[in-house]
Amino acid sequence: MARQRGTDFSSVAIRLFGYCFIGFFALCCLIPFLLVLGTSFTSEKSITLHGYNLWPREFSAFAYKIVFENPGVIVGSYGVTLGITIAGTILGLFIVAMTGYSLQRPDFPYRNRISFFIYFTTLFQGGVVPFYLIMTQWLHLKDNYLAVLLPGLMSPFLIIMMKSFVTSIPHAITESAKMDGAGDFRIFTRLILPMTTPALATIGLFIALGYWNEWYNAMLFLSPDLKYRPLQLFLYNVVTSADFIKNSSVASNVQPRDMPLESMKMATAVVATGPVILFYPMVQKYFIKGITVGAVKG
Amino acid sequence: MFKKKKALSIALAATLAVSLTACTSSNSTSSDSTSAATAGGKIDTSEFQTISYVMLGDKPKNGQFEKVMEKLNALLKQKANAKLEIKWVEWADWQTKYNLLLASGEPVDLITVATDWLDTWQNAQKGAFMPLDKLLPTYAPITWKEVPPENWAETKYKNQIMLIPEDHYTQWVNHGFQYRGDWAKEFGITAPITDWKMMEKYLQGVKDKKPGVVPWDTNGTSSDHVGGYINSYTDAIELPINTGMFALIYGKSYADKYKAYSPFLDDTFVNFAKMMKDWGDKGFWREDVMNYKGDNRAELEAGKTSVDQHHTQTFLGERIKMDKLQPGSDLQFFPFSATKNNLVSMSITHGGTSVGAKSKHPERALMVYDLIRQDPEIYHLMNYGIEGVQYVVKDGKRFRPDGYDVQRDDFYSDFWGGRIDKNEIPNGEDWAGKGALFASYDKIKKAYPYGRFVFDKSNVTNELTAITQVVGQKGPAIVHGKAGDPVKAVEDFRASLKAAGFDKVMAEVQKQLDEFKKMVESTK
Repeated sequence: MARQRGTDFSSVAIRLFGYCFIGFFALCCLIPFLLVLGTSFTSEKSITLHGYNLWPREFSAFAYKIVFENPGVIVGSYGVTLGITIAGTILGLFIVAMTGYSLQRPDFPYRNRISFFIYFTTLFQGGVVPFYLIMTQWLHLKDNYLAVLLPGLMSPFLIIMMKSFVTSIPHAITESAKMDGAGDFRIFTRLILPMTTPALATIGLFIALGYWNEWYNAMLFLSPDLKYRPLQLFLYNVVTSADFIKNSSVASNVQPRDMPLESMKMATAVVATGPVILFYPMVQKYFIKGITVGAVKG
Repeated sequence: MFKKKKALSIALAATLAVSLTACTSSNSTSSDSTSAATAGGKIDTSEFQTISYVMLGDKPKNGQFEKVMEKLNALLKQKANAKLEIKWVEWADWQTKYNLLLASGEPVDLITVATDWLDTWQNAQKGAFMPLDKLLPTYAPITWKEVPPENWAETKYKNQIMLIPEDHYTQWVNHGFQYRGDWAKEFGITAPITDWKMMEKYLQGVKDKKPGVVPWDTNGTSSDHVGGYINSYTDAIELPINTGMFALIYGKSYADKYKAYSPFLDDTFVNFAKMMKDWGDKGFWREDVMNYKGDNRAELEAGKTSVDQHHTQTFLGERIKMDKLQPGSDLQFFPFSATKNNLVSMSITHGGTSVGAKSKHPERALMVYDLIRQDPEIYHLMNYGIEGVQYVVKDGKRFRPDGYDVQRDDFYSDFWGGRIDKNEIPNGEDWAGKGALFASYDKIKKAYPYGRFVFDKSNVTNELTAITQVVGQKGPAIVHGKAGDPVKAVEDFRASLKAAGFDKVMAEVQKQLDEFKKMVESTK
């Protein structure tokens, strides 16, 4: 009877070392978050005197009270962010996948030039003012949620990533399907998409994260006259205006309210990252798979 | 993708075209409309118009703002057949948004402007504002007469009025040390502190007699007190030229205002560095001050420190707060200007209102502005809210009504473009010593001389970047006395400045000050 693998001293030691090392590494990632969580429940006075801490010295939920002063707005903001994220991810994924697939089809003329044009936009951009003018003066998207949705739909980086992934699927598959009389669109939806699920999951996650964290375009194009704006912008506003009112000599006229500043920032961070942490484990396996497959084959 | 590039280039061309045409078109509209509206010598207000006004700040959320606006708009309808609509530019990235709003050419009527923090001259250069010379006498007659010619001169770009200044409103943002009067008395300092030696005596007293209190719990990011020391021991006036953590370039004095001068190259800075080394060695602040990031003011309120450095406006608020949080603390203020009476007023263009170049009804906009500024009833609504809800008046002073709740009843409109002393109702909750403090300022104040000076840094951009880096790297240690031998540290600092091209920058500043002098003297 063969001795079971992995019970001799050396492999136990390696495993022990491995677990310790990874455990330590995981702690390094976890502790800052716990610090954020702990600080968010600490009274501002205690933060001033003793600094941040994992366990609140003086428990206080005042920061959450301020952040949730107005629960309707938070719920509404979550709704806007969720809507934009879901719509944007589905639509964006579809467009990015189609673009990536088309760009590597050998029977598609000028594909390299067009790829270069897409890549070129990552190197040179028009800048903020032209962008703002196009969005507001030409497309009239001010105070329209499309102003947040559209710019995030196609990212050159993701298109190139998709393209390099689809390259790993033999062109013969496309050709044989053509022989059997399938059209381009059918080939794409029935054959290519099912074969690229890992890449789709990865790209989908990137797009979703992008939309989830999106605040800059929202800040530029969605004015306070809108009732609900994306969550990140809402939270960003909570923190920056508190900061600004407290420190600015510019606005010497602003009446500072008593704001629990540091704890409020932390509470804001907790509210914003909470759902993402719950969502992440579900797609994590695709995420790992997708990235590694891309790396090996790419 | 081809399309995208094409669109971009068209957009760029359009931007250029817009910026080029903005100046010319605005001139024509203003003169056309004047002749149309004053047909028969009487202003025609038969058409009801909505006037937009851009304010900086967060949109109020508790519903009070809408209630006040309803009352205000009823008055405006009666008096000018118009309605006011406030557009908010929120504090989150306000600079980007404010400048984009002006660059985009969206039609706005009234805009809050400020030459020192809202880039008014740069925006005027791009043609964002409508010249007001022809419109003001007809449509804002009271304000037109009220602002004296020398103040209108301060608002001109290429000899045209670009904004209405907030020149009849008193506010002070000159810096100084706030300190505890009760402790000063305890250490035998009975007169108000007026110089840094007395300050030192006070700090030493705290060090000796108040265990557990850091005399001045400053942190490594604060360096305003360099400017404070220069303000106390020279006649120099800081120039609006950004050199990073603190300003290096000053005007020599009020009498000699067109001479560029740097107190960092003479004994002023050496004496300051020696003093700070001494203060640091005596333990007036923490040993690890350079890495410490605490909140000085919160510590003062908690009784853990005895000095905080900020400006008059802050002190007036803090005095009220401290009376509640540290009863008997008798917070006092040592304005840096007290030592040598070197005090300039705030720039009259620190607040102001302009009319957008693309405004569709500039005439009515100015009428509305004149009402907000001059009509007491409208003024009080705009600035304080509704009497009985936001405030009550007793003996000519404003107080909060009983049962006032900040969250529920708070109102603000952030109108900082034309407040005026004559329409203010004094705040009854103000500190009793405010009047005396302001009177002491009024005795020695001089008009701010650099309101229209805009330093064009294009010739010395690289030098300024290098200088900013030197200031950021070597400045903090010197101003907190943590740079070893102070004389050596200052020499080293100067050598680094020289290497970064400080002489060239000073020469450039001098050149531009000479041009500025010519401009000012030509418009007198």
